[in-house]
Amino acid sequence: MTRSTKRAVRDGALAVFWLWFGARLLNDWFGGVFVAAGEPFFDPQPVADASTALREAVAGTGVLGEPVGWVANGLGSLSFAMTYLPDLAAGAWLTVVLTIFATIFGLVLAVPLAAARVYGRVTHWVALAFIELIRGTPLLAQLFVLYYALPLSRWFAAVPYLGSGIVPEQAVWVAVVGFTINSAAYQAEYIRGSIEGIDPGQLVAARSIGLSRVQGIRYVVMPQALRFAIPSWTNELVYLTKYSSLAAFITVGELFHAARAAAYANYRFLDLFLLAAVVYLALVLSATTVMEWVRGRVAIPGVGGSGDGRMSAD
Amino acid sequence: MAENRLLDVVDVHQSYGEERVLEGISFEMDRQDVKVLVGPSGSGKSTMLRCINRLTDIDEGEIALDGESIYDMNQNDLRRQVGMVFQDFNLFAHLTALENVTLGLKRVRDMSEPDAVEKAARQLESVGLREQANSYPAELSGGQKQRVGIARALAMDPKLMLFDEPTSALDPELIGEVLEVMRDLAEEGMTMLVVTHEMGFARQAATDVLFLEDGELVEQGPPDQLFEAPEQDRTRDFLGRLTSLHGDQ
Repeated sequence: MTRSTKRAVRDGALAVFWLWFGARLLNDWFGGVFVAAGEPFFDPQPVADASTALREAVAGTGVLGEPVGWVANGLGSLSFAMTYLPDLAAGAWLTVVLTIFATIFGLVLAVPLAAARVYGRVTHWVALAFIELIRGTPLLAQLFVLYYALPLSRWFAAVPYLGSGIVPEQAVWVAVVGFTINSAAYQAEYIRGSIEGIDPGQLVAARSIGLSRVQGIRYVVMPQALRFAIPSWTNELVYLTKYSSLAAFITVGELFHAARAAAYANYRFLDLFLLAAVVYLALVLSATTVMEWVRGRVAIPGVGGSGDGRMSAD
Repeated sequence: MAENRLLDVVDVHQSYGEERVLEGISFEMDRQDVKVLVGPSGSGKSTMLRCINRLTDIDEGEIALDGESIYDMNQNDLRRQVGMVFQDFNLFAHLTALENVTLGLKRVRDMSEPDAVEKAARQLESVGLREQANSYPAELSGGQKQRVGIARALAMDPKLMLFDEPTSALDPELIGEVLEVMRDLAEEGMTMLVVTHEMGFARQAATDVLFLEDGELVEQGPPDQLFEAPEQDRTRDFLGRLTSLHGDQ
């Protein structure tokens, strides 16, 4: 497959996913625009019936009936997905919220952390201590401390509008705080690596025209370092999309939590987790697609690669 | 002190840890002087330049710009007044040629965007790069990059320009265009301290040539005197070798 075909297949699949996801969220938030909130868009029963009918039709035909059996199984899976995807959509929305907020807030913290780690004197040790503490302890433990040991959710409960509307739980914001702190530490390390890859002559030149150290970092080093950090930043987004499932353990009803809750009702754990995995895949592919676009948008000749994922010969 | 005096370097000592780089250098520059520093690699030429705009600190001695010790001046203010051109150009890689020049104008000299752009465009034109204003460094030849580097330093209206081997990283066919810009600058009366191996430039444009070896100023004088009748054997040996290598351009 050529590059453009691969891209078309991916973009097509993502378009279908987001069309469904967007319609689903709209429908459920506004109390049933197309169908009743939480109900499948199309009735899965006929599909399930067709599957059963096919299976019965070829029952006892042995090897000859096998291919028809596969079709019947496929239809069975389809009706299963149609039945339970609405349950997962609300969870996937929280996964998106957690990932996007944590990545952006994390970046905002990571930039000064990375600068402090590379250029700071006293702040170097503060940044280093923070980064090593966060990277060295389990994310789940950090979430437990935030949720069970600190009164964060009580504080958030006092904030008007927070925990209402389309983001229904305060626990989500506790999780955002946790993931932000965690992500900041990892992102700071990615950015530190990029900063260290920038020719020191760049800062010397900035200083030589009279820019202060902070100005040199702000206007010369960071714009280049952040561009070089985009590939690792994409990686962070991918990790975070999946790590956000840990929020389930502090009661956040994100994608994994939603799949597990549905499975408690029918004991089809494997089927539901596989279905959730497909949704995760769609989210991760969306994230990498968006980052590829961002990378192309901010690309500058000679800074941070050409944006097509291959090294130039230069 | 003479009215015309711009730079005094008095008995400067400098070392990196145990390694002594400069061991008592003294010289002075009047306005419009063009002095060329020559010497074998490791003789301390580049370090001498970096001491003057405090990219490197000295251990002993005194450096004064316009009669004021550079250690009494605000560091960023000093650097605004002393332009520096680097061997490796060090253009800001993420900015166009024009933006390389405007950054200092906007952030150091607090000029408005339109004023900065106008001044930068004029500065680029003066080094023959009007067409390349919107090119990124990766899209420029070495000679063009170095001319942007010169424009970037000049835009700050420095009193003194330091050149640290400005043509050493260039392909031979690109050296001429950079030297031409530097000769023009010298003719316009810019005070310049240049570390270079280009003896042709030294002969034509320099008011004095300073020969450094092992952190000491061995000899200085007008280029004719130094090239034709040096007082020291060391100077004769070195300049002889250099001229046979780099010739006159």
